[in-house]
Amino acid sequence: MSILEAYIFGTLLIGFFGIIFKKNLMMKIIAMDVMSTGVIAYYVLIAARGGFYTPIAAGATPGPYADPVPQAVILTAIVIGFSIQALMLVGVMKLARNNPTLETDQIETNNTP
Amino acid sequence: MNPLIAEIPGVIPWIALPFFIGFSINLFPKLSRLLAVVVALSSMIYGAVQLLRPLPQTLELLDHFGVTLQIDGLSGALILTNGIVTLAVLLYCWQTGKSTFFYTQLVILHGSVNAVFVCADFISLYVAVEVIGIAAFLLMTYTRSDRVLWVGLRYLFVSNTAMLFYLVGALLVYQSQHSFAFAGLGAAPPEAIALIILGLLTKGGVFISGLWLPLTHSEADTPVSALLSGVVIKAGIFPLVRCALIVPEVGEILALLGMATALLGVVYAIWETDTKRLLALSSVSQVGFMLVAPPIAGFYALAHGCSKAALFLISGNLPSREFAQLAKVPIPPVLRGGMAIAALSIAGLPGLGGFAAKALAVKDLLPWQATVLNIAAVGTAIAMAKFILIPFPSTPAPPPTQGLSLALLLLVGAIFAANGLGPTAYTVANALKALGIIALGGLIYGFILQRWSIKLPRGGERLEHLIGMMTLMLTALFWMVVT
Repeated sequence: MSILEAYIFGTLLIGFFGIIFKKNLMMKIIAMDVMSTGVIAYYVLIAARGGFYTPIAAGATPGPYADPVPQAVILTAIVIGFSIQALMLVGVMKLARNNPTLETDQIETNNTP
Repeated sequence: MNPLIAEIPGVIPWIALPFFIGFSINLFPKLSRLLAVVVALSSMIYGAVQLLRPLPQTLELLDHFGVTLQIDGLSGALILTNGIVTLAVLLYCWQTGKSTFFYTQLVILHGSVNAVFVCADFISLYVAVEVIGIAAFLLMTYTRSDRVLWVGLRYLFVSNTAMLFYLVGALLVYQSQHSFAFAGLGAAPPEAIALIILGLLTKGGVFISGLWLPLTHSEADTPVSALLSGVVIKAGIFPLVRCALIVPEVGEILALLGMATALLGVVYAIWETDTKRLLALSSVSQVGFMLVAPPIAGFYALAHGCSKAALFLISGNLPSREFAQLAKVPIPPVLRGGMAIAALSIAGLPGLGGFAAKALAVKDLLPWQATVLNIAAVGTAIAMAKFILIPFPSTPAPPPTQGLSLALLLLVGAIFAANGLGPTAYTVANALKALGIIALGGLIYGFILQRWSIKLPRGGERLEHLIGMMTLMLTALFWMVVT
């Protein structure tokens, strides 16, 4: 379990540093997605701490069950993350018309007063 | 039916109304403005009713796992602010021929800001805040130029990264408390508190986490900047204030950060030469006053929201954004008057809403805290003096549009009416102190700063630095929570 947790924090950090160090705007967005994958995995991991079985009240329970609340919550967060990412990609498409290389530094200096 | 729903009458229909109308506006494009006004009016009425209700009310849907809503005087004041500022923006946009899409986003933004002001658990808050982010992005990029697209993308990057940290914090709270309610924050592990505060500080534009704000608020379209600075930043501040009221240890940390941001904001603002950037930086400073005095935060937000929205609407209609240029061009008397009243309210002139809010905010603080805030208040007076002391050229100016005049009438009326919420602030000592602060600020500006200019570095506002500073802020917060 703690190995898995370490991997998840690794993913989170890789994504976070990707947002900072990647120069291309597209790569920054992908790095943000990696970071949010880490967060989602963390929710799933914490939910599975108690056990792995689905909590359905149907006769005898096969064993300790997984907590459904964090999973339900993270579903909402996945949808929101997806829509934000879609929105950012549309923004990048528009920006790419005048800045085909999508270098963040270039775009930033061009568009900051 | 859950019997608990009866405890807050009308809350569910009222929260659902903006989303329902927001999405159905597209079916009735001719009625879009009218429907949006109905939404804003419903919030004003609902907010005013809640403001007069003495006791806080709580609503839990589906046991302690589910959604928790809480309404008290604090939410009432903020809902009222949201209603007034949205209505003013609608009046301003009435004749400008904005598309139905604009009004859809405006109403959805209004509805999600309202949702933030009533929710009391971390997940409903997360959803509402993210919807605000999306609606604000779409409003900001309404003009579709490259610059606003970049500013909008930058805003989404910063706010989404901050909210990912926040989500991890919310999970850690759940892990220790088995509930997402705000009340669980007190017993949560320190890393959870640090992560959640970091997310909300970034959303609320506080201290160095708020350095994204000046560019975003100044580059957006005039009515959108008025909304962003008037109410949307309060959506990040309000949950912090509510947590500070529930958990006193969090309150102490926020008070420190509040003083830091009050000073940082004015230090930048007094050297600023661009009107809209100055206003945005002054917002960074003003949210500090709300964090330092959580019980007064709602009233303070009302006074600040109305004044700041008025100032943003006016400066968007001045012939130039540079103070040096403004001295040479004619300004219509209506705009000049509105600008003076709103700026003096932020500086805290007795008779205007900002005075009562500021006096009550400083009243219950420790002496050293009050001193820090008074220094920040002098800085605010200096920054506002730049607006009041623009020289008069002799040529007559064309009158402003009808929509702008109506919006200003509403906002200025609200600034005066806000006094009714804080009659206890009116003592001779308070009034003299406020006058002293304004006079001092005006004199410092007139005799020293007017002839002197410094360009402060803006390196901290680059995207990489904004994201990177989150790690510094997180470390600092963790250290503050542990000690």
